[in-house]
Amino acid sequence: MMWKAIGYSAAGTAHTAADKGCEDAIRFRSVYGNDGEALVCCASDGAGSTQYGGWAAEFSTSRMVDRISQSVNTPAGVTEAAVYAMVEEIYEELHAEAEYRQADLSEFSCTLLGCCIMDSRSVFFQVGDGAIVRNDGLDFYTAVWWPQNGEYLNTTSFLADDPTFKDLRIAVIHEPVAEVALFTDGLQLLALNMEAGTVHQPFFEDLFRVVRIAENEEEVGILQQKLAEFLESSQVNSRTDDDKTLFLASRLVS
Amino acid sequence: MYLYTMDEYISFEQIPFGSDNFAENPEPRCPCVLLLDTSGSMGGMPIDQLNDGVLTFKQELMQDPLAAKRVEVAIVTFGPVTVEADFHTVPNFHPRTLETTGDTPMGAAINLGIEMVSRRKREYKEHGIAYYKPWIILITDGAPTDEWASAALNVREGENARKFAFFAIGVEGANLDILKQISVRAPLKLKGLMFREFFMWLSASMKMVSGKTPGAAINLISPSGWSEL
Repeated sequence: MMWKAIGYSAAGTAHTAADKGCEDAIRFRSVYGNDGEALVCCASDGAGSTQYGGWAAEFSTSRMVDRISQSVNTPAGVTEAAVYAMVEEIYEELHAEAEYRQADLSEFSCTLLGCCIMDSRSVFFQVGDGAIVRNDGLDFYTAVWWPQNGEYLNTTSFLADDPTFKDLRIAVIHEPVAEVALFTDGLQLLALNMEAGTVHQPFFEDLFRVVRIAENEEEVGILQQKLAEFLESSQVNSRTDDDKTLFLASRLVS
Repeated sequence: MYLYTMDEYISFEQIPFGSDNFAENPEPRCPCVLLLDTSGSMGGMPIDQLNDGVLTFKQELMQDPLAAKRVEVAIVTFGPVTVEADFHTVPNFHPRTLETTGDTPMGAAINLGIEMVSRRKREYKEHGIAYYKPWIILITDGAPTDEWASAALNVREGENARKFAFFAIGVEGANLDILKQISVRAPLKLKGLMFREFFMWLSASMKMVSGKTPGAAINLISPSGWSEL
């Protein structure tokens, strides 16, 4: 185990009140490849007002993590072009599903954000809001991109919006990343300082402090359980009624 | 792993995990303007029920701690056109008992409501406050007695530009044909005097406002229960 990774999606109180389940989704795994262990994670927020947004979020994250995992061991590896092709493929699959169910493609609206962290190279991608945060190496947490919101807080861009993916952002960073976090928009107002345009450092410092000292899979399992409790706690729910997803990963220092 | 603290060992399981150090962002707001017909024909039971309904609206929103902080309510009555209450978050919204007077200058009331949400959005922007799409709710039992073509045009333009969502509710006696020409969304006819049920629906819909919507869609609960349509 080279990565200590935990991640969870919790239903928002507004969703529960409206008899809707959680429409966020998260998938992550470690993949052993030619260049050691790669950490692959993908999260998505299905649009609450749509019929199949939650399904699209589940489908897209699971498909994306599978495709990246396969790509890790190809000669070219996970490149910008490879990620673009995967997103294109998922769009086509959502399109086919919409035709099959005779529904409008917008009923499959979901955001998509994720990463593949390798030894000395990382790939990040994002459509829509939420954010990916990484430790910049000097224990400062920085967002890879600022969330894409429109004029209104509940508007954003979705994977199914546009076959040309003008809102898809992909970045490749050629440096080691020791800590990465990823969250959907339900946590945006808790984890980001909107006016300053910065990541709220104490929030991630508190969380990573404990992830850092975990030493084995059993302890990671305990943290996974505690993350779920934290995301479902009244202190979090008093600040957000939306579905929320949080992923935290710290490289094991040996 | 074990940590040594003072004179006792604690196991990994006992280490608290979480954070209550959240960013201090202002609560996002959702402005809501009620355009209420207080013309003579609303006298008696209708205005009493409407007053009760507005109080119910406040009580329902107060029960949701987030909605209470996020929804801002303003009231415009007609006629004559009066800003009965400017935008306030729910705890600071203290509706007065409305009385009926005068005719039905609906066109001017709608235009004022639209101006009010535009101004409110500017104020949010100036103060770095995030916000949701404003709602404008028109409730009437009659037909405009003033020029309403410009109001209809402004509603259409505003809806197309996604500046706000406009809803028209007709009480018994309302001219639904004219309401159809004003509102892009089909106007809804109130069953009897079910104002209370209507306002419970409105508050429940507003509590869902943080849900994501592709395009111009708005999250709404089915209006069955209070609507004839």
